[in-house]
Amino acid sequence: MATTRIQGYRPGLVDVATGQISREIFVNDEIYQDELERVFARAWLFVGHESQIPSPGDFFVSSMGEESVILCRDRVGKVHVFLNSCRHRGMKVCRYDEGNAAVLTCPYHGWSYSTDGRLVGVPYFREAYHSTLDRSAWGLVEVAQLCLYKSSVWATWDPAAPPFLEYLGDFLPYIDLTLDAWDGSDGGTEILCGIQKWRVPCNWKFPAENFSGDSYHNISHRSVDLVGIGPSGSGRRDMPELNMARKLHIAFPERGHQTTSYLLPKEAAPPPAYQHSSVVSDYFRECEEARRKKQGDWGRMIALVGEVFPNTAFLARQPRTLAAWHPRGAHETEIWRCFLVDKSAPAEVKDFLRDYYIRYSGPGGMTEQDDMENWNYAHAASRGTIARRYPYSYEQGMGTAVDNYEWEGFRVPGTVCDLTQAKSSEHNLRNLYRRWAEFMEAESWDELTIWRRQRQAEAAE
Amino acid sequence: MTDDRIARVLLKQEIEEFLYREADLLDERRYDEWLALLAEDARYWMPMRRNVKVDDREREFTREGRDISWFDEGKETLTRRVRQIQTGIHWAEEPVSRISHLLSNIQLLEVNPSPAEPAEVSVRCRFLVYRNRVETETDFLVGKREDLLRRIDGHWRIARRKILLDQNVLLSKNLTFFF
Amino acid sequence: MSEPVNIRQIAPGTKIALVDGALAEVVSNPADGVWVFARYLSSPGDPSRVGGEEMIFAQDIVEIRE
Repeated sequence: MATTRIQGYRPGLVDVATGQISREIFVNDEIYQDELERVFARAWLFVGHESQIPSPGDFFVSSMGEESVILCRDRVGKVHVFLNSCRHRGMKVCRYDEGNAAVLTCPYHGWSYSTDGRLVGVPYFREAYHSTLDRSAWGLVEVAQLCLYKSSVWATWDPAAPPFLEYLGDFLPYIDLTLDAWDGSDGGTEILCGIQKWRVPCNWKFPAENFSGDSYHNISHRSVDLVGIGPSGSGRRDMPELNMARKLHIAFPERGHQTTSYLLPKEAAPPPAYQHSSVVSDYFRECEEARRKKQGDWGRMIALVGEVFPNTAFLARQPRTLAAWHPRGAHETEIWRCFLVDKSAPAEVKDFLRDYYIRYSGPGGMTEQDDMENWNYAHAASRGTIARRYPYSYEQGMGTAVDNYEWEGFRVPGTVCDLTQAKSSEHNLRNLYRRWAEFMEAESWDELTIWRRQRQAEAAE
Repeated sequence: MTDDRIARVLLKQEIEEFLYREADLLDERRYDEWLALLAEDARYWMPMRRNVKVDDREREFTREGRDISWFDEGKETLTRRVRQIQTGIHWAEEPVSRISHLLSNIQLLEVNPSPAEPAEVSVRCRFLVYRNRVETETDFLVGKREDLLRRIDGHWRIARRKILLDQNVLLSKNLTFFF
Repeated sequence: MSEPVNIRQIAPGTKIALVDGALAEVVSNPADGVWVFARYLSSPGDPSRVGGEEMIFAQDIVEIRE
């Protein structure tokens, strides 16, 4: 396939009508360069969590797309995200992973910035610049928009992007299933200290697709299912309630977010889980009961995995994590994974979860290891001249999604594909790439805020 | 030399031989024999390492039993890791890696109660774990290790292993092997 | 040319002599080794600075006086 100026991502490369997607979008360096501009410079990206920067002056160095950014809390407590590059000659201002600072000083020529991004220190300001440099014009580059949502921090470089809550739309309650405490208390989670960061030789969209709800790849985890690492010692997870639930692919076509979630029956007591310790099993049982009581029908919803377009993933329960797939070129991804626990959980519960998280996820995780092997070699084997001629198949469950899915009195937001009988579909994956293609084609956010146009059209009628 | 110093030299040699033999078991994929070298209450910990300011050095390593680490586990989980490799369908280790453990700078840090009658020995070394997989996948993992060895029924057993890898962002896609 | 001083750890209250002959007292130290915040005690070249607080660049500090 020609790589000169790609014309028409949807019919040419991403054909969701026939369920075929070209390998080029994963392995083509030109497409990757476009992607940095059209996807990563425009979309909302996950940056971190407020629990990483509790005090004034605290900073955590994060990543947006390929670029390093500084997440920091200024002297009056306001949260900022800055490009980690000195305005004078580009030196990385902060090469620590985290810490606390009164000012952020560039080691190269000594330009120094306050924690709210202002340029406050310029060596020889009087002598060399004759006091004429307009310091107010040379502060750190700050993101165009920032949103703190239930302590999670999100940012975009695009001033024209819709506000974060509008960007998420009706997907919002699904990410609550990771950010709220287990008993449903608003934002009652914190990040365990220590962010796992590691490199995987694959395009970032392989993990993004996987966490969008690849319901088909369970077979690749058979080895861990056989040896058992779940909270009660067998399997990968310990969620017996899923056996009585509806397994759903839920996607938001206008926005590109999607999740695999489960809807529990109306009347059903949660079966026993986390049986290794009574403190832990009691904790989760009580949380579950409290959440069902507090949230009514919504309390029947249990998220498994999900993806906020483009590169932020959550695992809602076992383990409970947020991950960002940071691109490092078309052929490499740096994964950053953080793990969440309830702030107010007993120490024994936090310890239990931490042990489980480490043996499940990350480079040492007995589940994720096999995923990364697949992403690595799927990418490697798709790079060849011949390989690129043949698209991937995304044909599962085509035409089976509905947008008014209801079960036992609860209408599920989003377009839904019921996998309970079907076992698997690629509804969510098509949704991810449809939205990706829209980003690659659209010249402006006006084209991307499809829902606004629809609302306007409805209003006009 | 005094008796005590001779005992110490002999002990060091014995410990070195134990560590080399252990490395052989790993590199020859004799995992069950390797597991048998672990005390039942063994701890295996590999923290992550952060770039922190000179005044924050105590925060360089994630904390055992409190923070997220690369590994922080006991014999039960290590046994499951071995069993997973042995299924023959753990695709991240099938085909299996070619691994060599190189150990050097071996130092006895503490011997209790005495070199002549040692019950517990704390030993530090440097490691270079070379891993080559499939066709060209290659990892070099270098760092420090601190082991607590305990004499149980006349045999040395590993009671605790602390692994300090000299990396920040892990440059290997996975850690399917043992240090 | 005086010997360079490492200002990273100088404590608030420390007096510093500056290259232009001024004397200042450290108010706070961001410990970046490049800057300190200090108040001018004397400034022969520009008396208007006395009493004012400024960020002082390490290369402008010639001596630490206790």
